[in-house]
Formats: sequence, structure tokens, C-alpha cells
Amino acid sequence: MNLILSNLMNGLSYGMILFLIASGMSIVLGMMGITNLAHGALYMVGAYIGWTIFVQLEMNFWLAILVGAIGAGVLGLLIERVFLKHLYKQINEQVLLTYGFVYIITNIVIWIWGGRYRLQFTAPELMGSIKLGDFSFPITRIVITVIGLVVALFLWYLQDKTRIGAIVRAGMDDKEMIQGLGIDLEKVSAAVFFLASCIAGLAGVVGAQLLSTFPGLGSDLLLLMLAVIIVGGIGTIQGSLVGGLLIGLIDTFGKALFPGYAMFTIYFAMVVVLLVKPTGLLGRS
Amino acid sequence: MSTIAERPKLRTLVSSRLVPILIIGLFLIVIPVFLPADVQGIMTKFLIYAIFAISYDLIFGYTGLVSLGHAAFFGAGGYVVAVLSLHFGISSFWIGIPLAIIVSALVAVVFGFISLRVSGTYFLLLTFALAQLLYSIAWNIPWLNSEGMQGIANISLPSLGIPGYTWTNAKYYFLVLLVAGICYYLLERITRSPFGHALVGIREGEARMTALGYNTWGFKYRAYVFAAPFAGIAGALFAYHSRFISPSQFGLGTSFYPMVMAIIGGAGSLFGAVVGAALVVFLEYFTSLVTPERWPLILGIIFVISIMYLRSGLGVSLIRFWQKVRHSIGYPQN
Repeated sequence: MNLILSNLMNGLSYGMILFLIASGMSIVLGMMGITNLAHGALYMVGAYIGWTIFVQLEMNFWLAILVGAIGAGVLGLLIERVFLKHLYKQINEQVLLTYGFVYIITNIVIWIWGGRYRLQFTAPELMGSIKLGDFSFPITRIVITVIGLVVALFLWYLQDKTRIGAIVRAGMDDKEMIQGLGIDLEKVSAAVFFLASCIAGLAGVVGAQLLSTFPGLGSDLLLLMLAVIIVGGIGTIQGSLVGGLLIGLIDTFGKALFPGYAMFTIYFAMVVVLLVKPTGLLGRS
Repeated sequence: MSTIAERPKLRTLVSSRLVPILIIGLFLIVIPVFLPADVQGIMTKFLIYAIFAISYDLIFGYTGLVSLGHAAFFGAGGYVVAVLSLHFGISSFWIGIPLAIIVSALVAVVFGFISLRVSGTYFLLLTFALAQLLYSIAWNIPWLNSEGMQGIANISLPSLGIPGYTWTNAKYYFLVLLVAGICYYLLERITRSPFGHALVGIREGEARMTALGYNTWGFKYRAYVFAAPFAGIAGALFAYHSRFISPSQFGLGTSFYPMVMAIIGGAGSLFGAVVGAALVVFLEYFTSLVTPERWPLILGIIFVISIMYLRSGLGVSLIRFWQKVRHSIGYPQN
């Protein structure tokens, strides 16, 4: 019972990080039609900025989140404004370009921070655990879960309840009509891309609490993001949340129950979803 | 009279692609003899990647399918010869290469069936996931790894069944050159056949081809399966060449290599893919002489530049240059 509960908590917080990582990629892919393979690299940039701020400089965790998010956001915005905006609707060009940036960002990260692994580092504010009867929950995992939920709520509100969300959704379906209404879609696209990149950076700072940080993250995370997107469906916040939590739980319980074959449980989940519902559990068809 | 009879013959000789092929062929045969052994090794690597790149170009450049999983076949071919050498002690070229062809084709039969159910972004993601599946199999199953390491080491150069034969870098280079020549010829035949033209038709407008009565799914599936064995051969030659194979031969980075080569050289042109392979391999070599740890950075910049500025491809520019030369000496442009 204790084992199940602790795995549940671990799976949930891990799933929240997966949601944070994948949601930005899913938004950009689903709403703007851009396949951004550099999204994992932006996460990595966030994680390293976070490490610098609260391990090296011993500053505040929340400041690290802010700086990490904005740092990754600005980098993402640069990539979009200078390069990606010329490549709308050209999938293979986007893929090659953004993977080029995975190489570039990874190499620069090694240049700045060195190539060694950094184990997960708990911010001082989040040390300790909360006792509930027999069980004790680490505060980090609770905070991560809450941050994930807050971001999910914010993004869902933005997507479904605001004018910006409506413009983006409409722009995806009929770009010319939206521009005909006098809306500057370029600005909206840039803003969405900036936001998605910010979330990747935020995910990096938060994720570094649970996962180790290393220069291979940029490409290693792609498969996990892909799994979340395939299971949850492209382009909706709800889909990313469900996909992230499911993959997080499956992976955590897989590692506990069948160690050695844990990698394959994710593939299994992907295959099952693809066979049953190719657009993902909550995807727009 | 005799001059008139002779002229068309001469004209077809020059206007065919024979002259450039002869020049390039002669270059590839003669030059390596004068190169130091390590540069011969680089030439070999270039030819192996050229096979890999023209294989990918059949589905990417001609058919217009953007796959992120071509490493699946490259890795499959490599692991076939590696496992043969590790567990069965077989190093025969005549067993290794045919098996690599069969296994990579079988992988394509299965993977193509799964991934071609979808198109566009989903196809891209699925091919990536399938190659990653092989990656994690290679990583996790002990049978596919040498004792105490990730990957298989000590793969010997293939035995050709000739008694007393010893390998040198140059001899292996010429074996690879021969194989590459055959692969190029076969793929050239495929792309110039009605089948190849149908593939280009699908790339340009699949709906139109469907309307013309083509079973486009079948064409795409066959292109996918035909391309795989060439990548398998390249992978097997690569495993022999580097004497070592690791799961990263299935990795995303490996899948991107033929893609960037095809784009730099000019997608949809086999010659272009070869030019792209030469460029990337030699740039990597020169970088490794100067600043090896910055190669990924430079490779990334190559990706960006090739997408933003070289999208028509350098190989295609070379072909246009040759056509201009021909035109200027009085042959009609085609």
C-alpha cells in the first residue's frame, strides 16, 4: 500500500513535468503547425539556468523559475522570428532547422556548463516533507504537482476562454480569414511561440528538481514528448495533461514492476493508443 | 557523309551523362591511391554515407515522405554483421551483406506498414518512434551487446573467401566503391523507371495521382521497402569499417545525416545526395583536425544554412553548371 501510494505520488509529479515539457511543443505543433524539435533543448537551457541560479549563486527558487522561463522564452522567440517564421507549413524544413538548433544549443551548453551530469537538486525552500498519518510526501513533489496544475489551468483558460486563444484556434483553421479581419497573426504567432518556449524553460527549472540535468537532454526528451503527444493528442492542453500524467504513471509503475523493461512500457502505451484512437485520447481529429 | 553519320553518335556520347560519370569515376578510382591511409578511411566513410543518403533520397527526395527513422535500416544492417561476428564467428561478406539486405527489408516491411497508415507530421513522429524502439532494444538486450559495454566491438573486416587475402584501407575502399557504384546504378534505374516517375508524381500531387488511378499507398510502401536494403548495406559496410557498433547507430542523429546530405546536395537528385554526403563527411574531417569538440555546433549551423540558403541544393547547381557548359559548346539544353 505504501509502495503504491509513493509510486502514485512519484508518477503524478513526474507526469506533471512531462506535461510541462510536452504542452508547449503540443501547442506550437497543434495551433501553429510548427514541429519544433528544439523544444527539449529549451527545457535543457531552463534547467541549466536554474542550476546556476540556485546552486551556484544560491538564490531563490522562484527567481530561478522566472529567469529560466524568460531565458528559454527569449531564445525560442529568436529562433521563431529569425528563422521559423519563413518556414510556415514546411514540415521537413522546420524539422531539419530545429534539429540543427538542438546541436547548436547542446554544444553551447557544453561550452558554458561543461559536459558532466548534474543530479537533481532540491531548492532549499522545498526541502522536507509533509507527514499524513503513516505517509510522508516530499514537499518538492507536491510543489511540482501544484505548479503543473496551475500552468495547466492558466493555459486551458488562455486557450478556451480568451480572445487570444480564439484567434490562435481560428488562425490554425483559416489563416487568411483571420488576417482579413485585420488581426496581425504574426504578432500572435510570435507571442504563442514565446509562451511555449517560456513553459519549456519553466519545465526545465522545475524538472531539474526530479530529473538529472545533462547535455543529451535536448534529444533524449524528444521521445518522451512524442509519447505524451501521441497518447494525449496534438494541440489541446487537456490532451497534454492526460498524456503526461498517463505516461508518467505508466513509466513509474513500469520501473517499479518490471525493472529492465521499463523503456518498453511507454512504447506499449503508444502502440495501444495508436491502434485504438490514432489521433490520441483527446486529440482534435 | 561519314561526318554526318558520326555526329549524332558523338553527340549522344557527350550529351549523355557519361562524361561527368567517367570523370568522377576516374577521380574516385585514381585519387585514393595517392592519399594517406587515414584519408582513404574518410573516403570510405564518404562512400558509405553516400549509399545511405541516396537510399534516403528515394523516399525523401523522390517520393516526398519525410521519415525521421531511416537509421532503423542503417542500424539493422550494422547489427546483422555485428551479431554474426559476435555470436556466430561469421565474417563472410557473402553471408553478411545478403543477410543485412534481408533483415533491413523485413524491418521496412513491418515499419512501413505501421507508419504509412498516417501521413505528414504523424508519419514523421511514428518513423522516429519506431527507430527509437530499435534503439532501446539494442540498448537493453544483453545479447545485442559485447560483455560490459554498450554496443558490439571487435567486428573484423569481412572475409571474401579468398585464401591468404589481407585487407588494407585502400582495398576496403575499393570494395566499398564497387558496392556504392552498384547501389547508385540500381537506384538510378529505379528512379528513371515508370515506377520512379510515379513516385515523383505522388510527391508533386498525391490526389492527382489517385485520380489517375494509381494506388499511391502501394507506391509509397514499395518505395519505402526498396530504399531500406540500401541503407542496410550502408550500415553493414559502416560496421565493418568502424569495427564497432553502438545503439546510437539507430539514433535520431543518424537519421538526420542522410536528410541533411540530401538537402544540401539537392533533394530528388541521387547525384546531389552524393555531393551532400561528400560535403558533410569532409567538413567533419576538417573540423576534427582543427576543433573536434565544436563539430556538433558546426553541424547545427550546416543544418540551418542548408535550410535557409541552400534549399535547391549544391549538387543540383553542379548539374546545371554542366548543362550550361554543354550548351556553350553547342549542344541543346534539356
